[in-house]
Parts: sequence; structure tokens; C-alpha cells
Amino acid sequence: MMNLPKIDISALPDLDVLTGVFGSLAHPAQGLQSNDTLIMMMSFVYDVIKTVH
Amino acid sequence: MLIGPELMALRGDDTPQRRIQQRLLDQLGGWREAGAGAELEAELPRFAKGAALESLPALHALFTPGNCAAATLVDGLTDWLLTELERDPLGQVPMRHQCDRTLATLVLVRCQGASLALQAIDGAGFALKPPAQSVTFAGNESWDHVLAGSAEVELVRIAGQRPGGVELDRTGSALAPGGIVHRNGRLAAQIFKRVPGILVLLKLHRLDHDNAPSCEYALDDGRLLHQAAGHPRDSRLELAVALLGRMGRADAAPLLAAMAEETGSPHLRWQALRECIALDSRTGFTALSAIARNSDDPLAVPAGALRAQLLETYPQLAEVPLCPA
Repeated sequence: MMNLPKIDISALPDLDVLTGVFGSLAHPAQGLQSNDTLIMMMSFVYDVIKTVH
Repeated sequence: MLIGPELMALRGDDTPQRRIQQRLLDQLGGWREAGAGAELEAELPRFAKGAALESLPALHALFTPGNCAAATLVDGLTDWLLTELERDPLGQVPMRHQCDRTLATLVLVRCQGASLALQAIDGAGFALKPPAQSVTFAGNESWDHVLAGSAEVELVRIAGQRPGGVELDRTGSALAPGGIVHRNGRLAAQIFKRVPGILVLLKLHRLDHDNAPSCEYALDDGRLLHQAAGHPRDSRLELAVALLGRMGRADAAPLLAAMAEETGSPHLRWQALRECIALDSRTGFTALSAIARNSDDPLAVPAGALRAQLLETYPQLAEVPLCPA
């Protein structure tokens, strides 16, 4: 039986460019763009709430 | 706290409120099942799966220049909705909706990443917002039909790629009643500059299901500021993966290894791989080695680097067989 190490996740690097969750933005409160992510987010959050209840 | 007499009465007996909501739901059900919404409900699943808009007559009519279908649809919908709310102002609109000082959105129909929504932009509220500093390109396709009002906008296109970002091409444009704008969200974005009064849009939208992340760039020099998952499913899976890791669910390691080796979002696969290695170094290292060996895999290079790093730190990992036992 091999004696394999227990590796802490903090020792495992992320990719060079991180990817945020769906709909996340660096400048969410500035300007207004024709971006239907908001509608997707509304539908997504609503569906999660509906499922939980 | 001041509580109006109508609300106070409902505290004792909410029957009137439940009756209002049931009536609104019945009206909406009728609209969706037998009314103007029925054809849209029938066509939207095909649209969500990528069918050409031209092959879907009811949806296509809403976004055809000179066709009055969009105005007729919205007039019919708002007619019964506003009549009900005028009669019972405490009724809650039974469609997904969101409203702030600038933007009011009412989702009329939605299905699997596609939606038809009515949106109003209040120019006075918009004028209070700081100007845009960034622009986002995402994997979606959209059609906007201007039903009322006007706006000055900036069309932003990706003119070329460069290290750490893109070259942006920015041109001014205007929206006017009757105008229809079709946009591939990977290539073009539209930023509002000025809205006199209120702009009302009918919006049709679908995700392109390619799983590529959305990218947010600085408007002034095109540098990449942020990228985000291209589909809510990827974020949901990433949260589940992280949760399994925090719960110490070593029994989930084979599942995480399979996720890491599937095709799909590289970010999600990498997170599954990290959690897998942390939960069960044998299973995780086997998956890592398989990914590193596949030169066609976009994760081959970082997987190879991590594999070399782990072998240096933990030489005993060299004894792990390349294929699962």
C-alpha cells in the first residue's frame, strides 16, 4: 500500500486568469449596457428559490 | 412604523390578497395557454436550442421592421395587467420582474437560457449613474425592438486580440421607435450614453451554450478586467464541487475526477481537479496525469506544471499508476 500524501487545496494553484460566477462584473454599478445577464440572473435566482420552497 | 389600514386589515385576514393573486395567476395562465402568449411559449424552446428566428413565425413577427405584432402583444398584456393592478394595487405581478431607479424589467416568457422580456429605461435615473468604465462580451444573441422613446448609444466591437486584452472599436449610434437591433454578444456590445425620457424595449435573448466565459474589458484601453462563467450551470456545479471539498467527501473523488476529465469549462474542470487532488491524492493525481498527457486539452500545460510541482514536493506520487486501478 502506497503512503500517499494528504494535499491541502491551498497548495494547489488556480489558473492564471480567474473566472467569477455567472453574471459577476468588475464594475457592476457603472453605466448601463444592453446586457441580458440580468434577466438570466432573475430567472436563475427565481428558479432556485422556487426549488428550495 | 406606519402601516396603512389596507395592510393592517390583511394581517388579520389575508383572504382578499390570496384572491387577488389567484386572479392574476389565472389571467397569466390564460394568456400563456390560450392567449397571445401561447404561440410564444410554443416557439421559445426551439429558439433556445438555436433555431433560426426566421423559422419561428410568432417570435419573428415581433422583431420584423414595420410589423405591429410587438405593439399588439405588449398592449394586450399590459391592458389586463394594469387593469388588475388598478383595481387591486396590492396585487403582485405574477411574472419575474425587477425594478430600480433606472431599469424596470418584466420577463414575459423564458425557457432554457432564452427569454422574451419587456424593459423600460428611465433616463432621469440613468443620468445619475456614473459613466461606464467597462464593456462586457458574453456568449449570447439578442434582438432589441424599440417600442417607445429614444436613446444615444455607443456600439462597441472587438476589432482584434492583443496580450492581456482586445482592441475595441467604438462608434456612436441612436435608437429610435421601431428600430430593431440584432447583436452577437461575443462580438458586439451596446452601451447607453443618454436616454431622454423613458425608453421601452422588447428584448429577445438566448445563450449560445458554448460555455466560454464572458469577458469584461476596460473601455479606455481594452485590457481584460474580469471574466465570469458563461452559463449559470457552470457556477452551480462549481459551488457543488467546492461544497464537496469543504465537507471532506472523499467518496466524491471519482466523480470530481470524471468532471475534471470531461470537455467543458476549463475553469470548472480545474476546480474539480483541485478538489479531487485535495480529497484523494491518488485519484486526483491520476486524473491530473491524464489531462497533462493530452496535448489537445486546454488544461494540458497548467496540469503538466502542477504535476511536476507535486512530484517534486511528494516524490511518492511517482508510484501512482497512470490509469485508475
